[in-house]
Amino acid sequence: MPLDICNAKAGAVAEEAKAKIAEAITRIHCDVTDAPPTFVHVFFFEDGPQPPLGDKTAMIYGQIRAGRTEAQKAQIREEMGAALAEHTGITVDALTVFTTDTPASWVMEGGDILPEPGEEEAWLAAHEAKMAAFSSAS
Amino acid sequence: MIHCICMVQEGQITPDQEAALRRDTAGFASKHFGAEPEFNWVTVGKGNGFTEAKPSNSVIVSMNADRSLAPSSREPLLRELCEIWERGAGLSPNEVVTVIRDPQ
Repeated sequence: MPLDICNAKAGAVAEEAKAKIAEAITRIHCDVTDAPPTFVHVFFFEDGPQPPLGDKTAMIYGQIRAGRTEAQKAQIREEMGAALAEHTGITVDALTVFTTDTPASWVMEGGDILPEPGEEEAWLAAHEAKMAAFSSAS
Repeated sequence: MIHCICMVQEGQITPDQEAALRRDTAGFASKHFGAEPEFNWVTVGKGNGFTEAKPSNSVIVSMNADRSLAPSSREPLLRELCEIWERGAGLSPNEVVTVIRDPQ
């Protein structure tokens, strides 16, 4: 986590744009929150049921760890929307970006409970040491 | 009602593995939350899933608990659910994300 679900009308997001959008979204999370890039998942759907598109052409629903400031969340939403618009040509008023907070303690990734915001560096070091031991043992 | 969303990558899990994972995940929910879950099984199409901005091998399993859980109770449940998916899908720990949410 973060997990970003991009739902769009069929054909609205070109296949070749998806990797660029995923790269931009990953960078945005890392720049704004210092989250490790390994945490960032971006999944694309066409005319998916969730989140419902309504009258929009595309939508990003981001689930992020709780504890970010309102300013950080607003920046993430604004920059993700701009990246989606840039790589698709969809006008900003035809897309929506929203986020919800999930407590880090509710999520396990890589066999470890996710760190609270600000504790990523120590978490990553401990996790990488654990995974190195896991690899050498298997 | 226990809801469980399972997001998997296209081609990652065979039909036999899916059947076993549904069975074992349902068993987990029955054992710990007192009811079998209602599954929302979502397959992310090829070229549509990215982790670390690279093609994704990640599965996301998100389940609602039947009650609010203390961290000391939630962690072993997350670990057990994670191990079900590692074993059942042949994935490494880094490819499995599990979420257990308090009731909304």
